[in-house]
Amino acid sequence: MPDHLSLMTLHALLIAIYFSFLWKAGRRERWIYFCKVFGALMVGAVALGWLMYFFPRP
Amino acid sequence: MADPRSVTEGREAAQLPLSLLLALGWLVPGLGHLLLRRRLRAAVFFGVITVSFVVGIFLQGELILPQPGDPLSYVAAIAIIGNGVPFFVAKYLGLGHGVVTSAAYEFGNTFLLTAGMMNLLLLLDIHEIVRGHKEW
Repeated sequence: MPDHLSLMTLHALLIAIYFSFLWKAGRRERWIYFCKVFGALMVGAVALGWLMYFFPRP
Repeated sequence: MADPRSVTEGREAAQLPLSLLLALGWLVPGLGHLLLRRRLRAAVFFGVITVSFVVGIFLQGELILPQPGDPLSYVAAIAIIGNGVPFFVAKYLGLGHGVVTSAAYEFGNTFLLTAGMMNLLLLLDIHEIVRGHKEW
């Protein structure tokens, strides 16, 4: 099985492509939106992962 | 307020009844957009949803069906069946039983559920295009 980060990256990639084509029309707009969504998903997931250190499993 | 020109274009592109377009769009990801002459978007949607579904199956995700006493399974089933033909093909081939003990099980479920939800969201997009509320 690929590692978790690779799977998360693939998932973020698919989601970002999907929504950039669903919601944006022009090529430039799609690229900008793709970068925003992909970046938000990746950075958000890593940030949430770090935050979980403050809530260890009992 | 929709642009009258885009309304006309949307209706001209829809040579099939809306209900049939929605049904075909559900069964085959991207087919609704293809019939509405949105070829690039249709190809992208088909690719993204199919890849997501196949990866979900490969990761030993589960094709969740409604389970009595488990309300969330009904919600999950809507998303899973939202995949359309890929769901029925996978069921026919005996795939998607889900291996709970697998490390990839939850990842697989995530990909499968996401694929179904993306396909269902496309139906709303088809509706918007046919009604002329969306220009592209």
